[in-house]
Amino acid sequence: MSRADAPDRAEVAPRSGPRDGEPLLSVRNLRTVFYTERETIHAVDGISFDIHPGETVGLVGESGSGKSVTARSILGLVDEPGVIKEGQIRFKGDDLVETGFEDHRGDIAIVFQDPSNALNPVYTVGNQLKEALSIHQGLTGEDATERAIELLEAVGIPDAPRRLGEYPHQFSGGMAQRAVIAIALACDPDVLVCDEPTTALDVTIQAQILDLLADLQAEEDLAILFITHDMGVIEETANRVNVIYAGEIVERAPTGRLFADPEHPYTEALLESIPGRTPPEKRLPTIEGEVPTPTGPADACRFAPRCPKAVEACRTAAPDPVDVSATADHTAACIFAGDRGDQSGGANE
Amino acid sequence: MSDVTPFEDRRLFGTLGIDATLSAWLLVGVVLFALEAGAVANFLTGLLADFVGALPTAGSDGSLLSGATAAFDAAQAQSNAIPTLLSRDVVPNAGHWNGKRWVGTFLGLSPGVSWAIRTALVYAYAFAWVVWAAFGYRYYRREIRVADWTPRDDVIDRFRTHKWGLFGAVVVFMFVVMAVFAPTLGPTTVEQNMRNSYSYEIDYWNEETGSVESILVGEANVDSRSTGDSSRVMPMTYDEYGRFHPFGTMPNGGDLFTFIVVGSRISLVIGVLSVGLSALLAVSLALIAAYYKGRVDLGTVLLSDGVMAMPQLLLLIMLTTVLADTWIGDVYSGGFVLALIFAFTGWTYMWRSIRGPALQISERAWIDAARSFGQRPRTIMRKHMLPYVTGYVLIYGSMTLGGAIIAIAGLSYLGLGVAPPTPEWGRAIQLGQDYVTTGSWHISLIPGLLITLVVTGFNALGDGVRDAIDPQSDSATGAAAGRGGGA
Repeated sequence: MSRADAPDRAEVAPRSGPRDGEPLLSVRNLRTVFYTERETIHAVDGISFDIHPGETVGLVGESGSGKSVTARSILGLVDEPGVIKEGQIRFKGDDLVETGFEDHRGDIAIVFQDPSNALNPVYTVGNQLKEALSIHQGLTGEDATERAIELLEAVGIPDAPRRLGEYPHQFSGGMAQRAVIAIALACDPDVLVCDEPTTALDVTIQAQILDLLADLQAEEDLAILFITHDMGVIEETANRVNVIYAGEIVERAPTGRLFADPEHPYTEALLESIPGRTPPEKRLPTIEGEVPTPTGPADACRFAPRCPKAVEACRTAAPDPVDVSATADHTAACIFAGDRGDQSGGANE
Repeated sequence: MSDVTPFEDRRLFGTLGIDATLSAWLLVGVVLFALEAGAVANFLTGLLADFVGALPTAGSDGSLLSGATAAFDAAQAQSNAIPTLLSRDVVPNAGHWNGKRWVGTFLGLSPGVSWAIRTALVYAYAFAWVVWAAFGYRYYRREIRVADWTPRDDVIDRFRTHKWGLFGAVVVFMFVVMAVFAPTLGPTTVEQNMRNSYSYEIDYWNEETGSVESILVGEANVDSRSTGDSSRVMPMTYDEYGRFHPFGTMPNGGDLFTFIVVGSRISLVIGVLSVGLSALLAVSLALIAAYYKGRVDLGTVLLSDGVMAMPQLLLLIMLTTVLADTWIGDVYSGGFVLALIFAFTGWTYMWRSIRGPALQISERAWIDAARSFGQRPRTIMRKHMLPYVTGYVLIYGSMTLGGAIIAIAGLSYLGLGVAPPTPEWGRAIQLGQDYVTTGSWHISLIPGLLITLVVTGFNALGDGVRDAIDPQSDSATGAAAGRGGGA
């Protein structure tokens, strides 16, 4: 993933668009709901996306839009009162929703947002790394130590043999996040879910971690699901982007295309709120209001209350995703999307 | 610790390289243990013999069990022969005045002084263990451990400066030593002084005849009863048979100190057993509830509410009566049944206190991380959740222990619970209550004060531990709210 070619992506779109072959992980119509005492929250409401080997798929949205619940659903970490109500998570020929997640534990690994919370402070980093190694590769004793050192070196932690015996509090934020990535890699995963892995870090450290992830992806042919609210980070890392709003994917497109030609008003608003895209003397635009908590099936466009372009039709029926491009895999769930697109799909209103 | 030392070299246990300080420390430990090895062996074999003997079929049909009982009894007899520093024989206090000097006491000192020396020795010995352990911990922390600091260090440092907690620790230390060394500490034994007092004879100096004469202990007890103003043996005095009574005598003439010391062992054993069992139940259920959440959690809430709704006192009275003549009712003079009842009715309170912290911990990302890479639920609970609730277990365990001691004393006071003649603090209070307004006020007052002191001590210890742990749990609360948004 080179950042240098980012501006050209709209035209060239390298490694984007529908890929050949079977997807490694395929999420279809995933619905995860939480039954609380007062209401039923549809945190993830019919999400579908694919991840192919070696690619990075972005999942971007505001806080409360359902990004993390999507990640937890894929990993089988949804706790009561939440439950995956319907949908499929197909991985290597199995539907994980049906067969359970236990057979593929470790094949899908996760890197959490806050490294200080993801490492247990009472055990040394080596201890936690070896825990994962013993479960997934059956390594113990000297073999485990050796492999653990290799992993720490692979994620760029200097002086690995000594760091192995240190506690998480002795690691800086960036180093701790590298250790978390090393633990994820200890499972030898095919898919790495990164749930806001750089949000808790300084900007300079962010860049280092993103570079590390890119290098690891290239080395191990990892598929990465990259979850973030930071459009800038997405532009740098992802091949394809899914924009999620209130539990639904409102727009899906190759990264370059999305940034050059957004179709959904929400995506447009998100892009406008990136500091670099607004002239310095102008006030940075924001999106008024908050993400609604979906408590029932969608009967209207969920973005309509905050949408500058909303018309009456938006409030009476939920828009379906429509293809807006004849060539690229680009859909948007907006009744206006087809009108301004490549004329390949029409608004179904 | 210099930074140039390669870290492998500092891991002494890892490479089994042992330096001089460490070997000296280990040697001291071995010597300390050797001083009392006989007593430990005696205690263990006695415990096993008691346990096997209490099983329902033992002794009735010459089965394997009765054979085992005999074997354990023989082993106990043998372990009795091993000399120990703190046995009654090494520093004897039971002697008599022969007109010129004390005979049969330690170095010819008076019985009171001999007893004081033995008591001092016991506490000095126990204190030596504490110093040994403290030194070992400090050495480990400074020299052996790789990390310069671990989160537990702060907890220990905070406790070390907590005066109220230290007071509790001292009281609990005194009480536990008293219970552990009960047979050594008493100026006489329960067997000789109370249980079979008419089977033992003592020599004493008869002032009138001016000669040494013999008398049965039971008969001597009759003359040294504390029953009011005129007939009484007060604390720290001798009776007319030259026997020293640190706490005076009881209405039946028995030695109050011996009674209390042996009673403390019963209180401690029942207390620790019941608190240990309820902690086990409470922790397991709290961790399971916190890990699985939802319906499992609801189930445990209902279960504990159901148990809480049972009237504990009525249950206690009913079960102790019903089980009084069964084999289980005889184990440890009925103390075992008491401990079981306390455990199965008392775990709910501890469970309630632990469930909150356990639920907090279950929200931490490292739990999800462990789940995501396929760690087994039981290992996650033990490795990643249990260390965060053990502090709470210590706090509530310490406080519940105080409550258990009060409850046991209260039951014995009412004539329930531990069956006589096994000494128990509550019974001492009950025996002395008729004489509280007379000159023999010491019989009820001393055990009463001791109960108050010990329970306060356990609560203070619990407070100290809580304050030492609290800062950590505060930070845990702050960071654990992270996953609420569902984002």
